Amino acid sequence: MQEQLSLIDLVLNASFTVQLVMFILLMASVLSWYMIVQRFIYFRNARDEMYGFEERFWSGIDLAQLYREGNEKASDGHPALGMESIFRAGFKEFSRLAQENEMDSEAVMEGSRRAMRVAAMREEERLERHLSFLASVGSTSPYIGLFGTVWGIMHSFRGLANSTQATLATVAPGISEALIATAMGLFAAIPAVLAFNRFASKVDVLSNRYDTFMDEFSSILYRQAYALRAREKRAG
Amino acid sequence: MSSSIYAKPAAPRIILRPALVSVLLHVLIIYLMTVNWSGSEREIVRTKPAPKVINARLVDVSEFRPKPKPKPKAAPKAKTKPVVKAKPKPKPKPKPVVKPKAAPKPKPVVKEQAKPEPRITEQELAAIARADLARAVAEEEQAAEATATAAEMAASYASLIQQTVINYWSRPPSARNGMEALLAIQLIPTGEVVSVSVLKSSGNTAFDRSAMNAVEKAGSFPELQQLPAGEFEKTFRRFRLLFRPEDLRY
Repeated sequence: MQEQLSLIDLVLNASFTVQLVMFILLMASVLSWYMIVQRFIYFRNARDEMYGFEERFWSGIDLAQLYREGNEKASDGHPALGMESIFRAGFKEFSRLAQENEMDSEAVMEGSRRAMRVAAMREEERLERHLSFLASVGSTSPYIGLFGTVWGIMHSFRGLANSTQATLATVAPGISEALIATAMGLFAAIPAVLAFNRFASKVDVLSNRYDTFMDEFSSILYRQAYALRAREKRAG
Repeated sequence: MSSSIYAKPAAPRIILRPALVSVLLHVLIIYLMTVNWSGSEREIVRTKPAPKVINARLVDVSEFRPKPKPKPKAAPKAKTKPVVKAKPKPKPKPKPVVKPKAAPKPKPVVKEQAKPEPRITEQELAAIARADLARAVAEEEQAAEATATAAEMAASYASLIQQTVINYWSRPPSARNGMEALLAIQLIPTGEVVSVSVLKSSGNTAFDRSAMNAVEKAGSFPELQQLPAGEFEKTFRRFRLLFRPEDLRY
């Protein structure tokens, strides 16, 4: 052990508190990496879906046709995601309210807008899931690691007080093992902070796009609602 | 498909791939850390017994030393005092002394000698002066001989120091042909190393460090005690050692 001061030995010989701190940090690191990769895949899917849907939406396709396609996709096991779910919520509410004759165009618009807003909120919530965990790992794990280090150094200096001959060799392993805790804390924190910042900005970008889409879509629905009511008035 | 728009949409679950990636990443990092630590350790052990083909060379530094220079010269001066004194002094004031005498050469010497012993005749003075001159020449020759043998001794001690240092030198793996580190070493007459410093770095810190380590490990050269003090002062009080790895096979 004196010859080869390996990392494993240091960790195994650490005091219980330091070992606990290391374990917590390892778990935090594993979980935060899980969430980083998971969010990465999710955001990539959401972005691809958004581009694909926007392309189909502005290709001049009939809205009812687009809605039916979404139905088919959902029954195939591909539930609507992101922008498409906003579209589906708004269009469903619009067509349901438009069938009721006593509803005027303002009320129809109000209802479909509210439905879209709810769907958009839900999408944003889904985008932001796990981000708070990344943020708290990023902000607290250096402190946890520091705690482990301070505790370990405290421990090794107390051992120094008991020994008659104070050499560097008596404290060095303790300090070395204690510093591993700080290293692990930083190791967990740095990717978590980086990923949190990146994902937070991605959430902003995506929710802005959703807002824009909501406005565009509601202007289309507005036109349709007025045209419908005007036709009914002429007919009736 | 649920009829309510407020029902929670079924989000696609993404679990397997991130979990795999995360666990694999951590396992890989832990593996790399442990392997690296023990790996570097093993490498050091392996390089130690490797054959050392090195060449350390003593550099004569009498011209580089500003401080000890006057010291060794002072020693011979003390030995041949009367002659040396007599020689330089007449030079600045030959004229006032020369006036009454014909021979200009022995004159200044006579004048010097005459002052402390005014009763001796001129012939005697001349004889004494000639004898002094002869003795001075002989002494100088002797001194020259002595320094010659001392220089030889110094050279042999230099090679001894060189050999000792070489034995303690463990060349770093980053050493390359053409590297040169010049160390300034300070000794005390018991042969112990007082200080080592790098005068001219080779550009490779590990190489410089290994050279300094070699000198520090050698620690002392007790054989130097046998060297006459003057010679020690002249050559070994401060000297330089040039380190360069040659005949490296890589």
